[in-house]
Amino acid sequence: MIDLENVSRVYQRGADVIHALENVSLHVPRGRFVALMGPSGSGKSTLLNVLAGLDRPSSGEVTVAERRLNELSEDELAEFRAQTVGFVFQFFNLIPVLSALENVELPLLLTNLPRADRRRRAETALRVVGLSDRASHLPRQLSGGEQQRVAIARAIVTDADLVVADEPTGDLDARNAEEILSLLQTLKRDFNKTVVIVTHDPRAEKWVDEVIHLDKGVLLETRPGGGSREMAVSR
Amino acid sequence: MKFLPFVLRNLARNKLRSLLTASAIALAIALVCILRTMPAGMDAFLSSIASNTRISTHNEAGMVYQMPYSYLQKVRAVPGVVAAISWQWFGGAVDASRGVEFPNFAVDPEDFGRVYEDWNVSQQALDDFRKYRDAAIVGRGTLEKKGWKLGDVITLQSTLFGLELSFRIVGEVPNPRAVQLYFQREYLVQAFAALGTPLDSTGMIWSRIDDPERVGPVMRQIDEMFRNGEAETTSETEKSFFGNFFGSLKGIVTVIMIVAGIVTLCIVFIAANTASMSVRERVGEIAILKAIGFRSRTIFTTLLAEAVLLSTVAGAAGALISLALTSLLRSSLVSTGPQLGPLTGFVVTDAILVQAIFIAFFIGILSGWLPALGASRRSVAQTLREVF
Repeated sequence: MIDLENVSRVYQRGADVIHALENVSLHVPRGRFVALMGPSGSGKSTLLNVLAGLDRPSSGEVTVAERRLNELSEDELAEFRAQTVGFVFQFFNLIPVLSALENVELPLLLTNLPRADRRRRAETALRVVGLSDRASHLPRQLSGGEQQRVAIARAIVTDADLVVADEPTGDLDARNAEEILSLLQTLKRDFNKTVVIVTHDPRAEKWVDEVIHLDKGVLLETRPGGGSREMAVSR
Repeated sequence: MKFLPFVLRNLARNKLRSLLTASAIALAIALVCILRTMPAGMDAFLSSIASNTRISTHNEAGMVYQMPYSYLQKVRAVPGVVAAISWQWFGGAVDASRGVEFPNFAVDPEDFGRVYEDWNVSQQALDDFRKYRDAAIVGRGTLEKKGWKLGDVITLQSTLFGLELSFRIVGEVPNPRAVQLYFQREYLVQAFAALGTPLDSTGMIWSRIDDPERVGPVMRQIDEMFRNGEAETTSETEKSFFGNFFGSLKGIVTVIMIVAGIVTLCIVFIAANTASMSVRERVGEIAILKAIGFRSRTIFTTLLAEAVLLSTVAGAAGALISLALTSLLRSSLVSTGPQLGPLTGFVVTDAILVQAIFIAFFIGILSGWLPALGASRRSVAQTLREVF
């Protein structure tokens, strides 16, 4: 699903040159739940942006869902993101003037689906995250956990193969954080989605299949998470 | 069209700001519409007071210069000229210290009724005007203003010739907008003779032409006739004459139109500022939209659509406000009297309404273009790093 080959990302910030990623190579098969962990400034968000087609590497090859992102134009990258990637952010980032249902429907405006189909698919996505009864609520009328679940519904409504989440539990209490991690694992387990999250949250380790540690832009280690052990036990 | 509800929701995001911006645009467009009526209004006003078969002939050097009085007979002899009279400015004032309060002219009474047959001066008045040497015909506007009535004798002191003449009012020009006073030229000639000075010139000649189609050729023929003469002449239609007379007013209209243009430009800046603020507040949201697959072009179009929709709807409202205001003005003029008659010519036409909506549309495009372009071009990753 995801193949990174010697990917580096260098920023120029004023006079400083920042090496956010240095020769990172990574392979994530389809249907895996992976956590990118590391201290602040380790390059995990940059890595997430690169593999989700939000940012371009300074060097190296990025292939996601059999598409070489290096070769895509800005419009093609936008189309790639619309079709292949679902995004979940730390601060939920729902559009405040749209209801939960309309927020979920938003990515479908980029498709040619008729309005009734868009509505039906958005309702289905909301049902998956357990928020059918909150469809008409505005984001400000929802709790943090509910908003994040709406964001997850928005991420899956286009049936994207890859769901990426940047600190999805960062603004949630313990109970809601567990619910969100469980929901992300459900996406992997029941819908065969590939899920990549960036997190500081140690609780995430027990839900994911794999934990990838980065520091100073370098991939330090890859080790199995609790999700893979659970899977092995259940098998 | 599927993005329209999204655009509308964003416009309603900050209702007060949208309302204030829309109000500014609406008022500016209403102002522009009303100002745009002025040239047409002036034209309508000139058409209402001018005949299309009446022409004036005056010295080519300017209206203040005289022509030989003998020109009158020559003009009368031109084919197509039905009747012609001379006009001599008297510059009479009721009270010399207050100056000339209404225009007054010495004219030839014989053809007065034929040259001004559209003024509907009564036959009795015309007969008396010819009959009595000191007779005067006065516009109703001046009669009402001064409280004069038929049969009254008034005295005017010429600010030009140092003469004082008394006049018997024998008739009126039955139009509330008419303010002039006309008296017999012969009366002035005799007054000059008493001073030992002959009056053998005139300031202007007014003629009625038999056919509007012949007005142009007749004017050319008259001017050609006096080419290389004692005084070369310029002939023009009555509408053109009054147009020149109100030339300074046209200058004011031009200034007002420039002001209207500046007001429009100011509104572009105000609307652009609003659009910029709106975009700046939503930088994060816009980055999210791009992240989930919205193309730069789509972002640009929806943001621009917000500005254009707001501006166009506000402009349409402004145009309707101007329509209502001018209609109200006309109806109030009907009830309060026709003294302000020229204002009834200021009509917001369909063409002005369409122009106003187009102006509002372009205000929207101009004000929304740069903020929308800036937002659509921002890098997603950079914005996400900066904002979140």
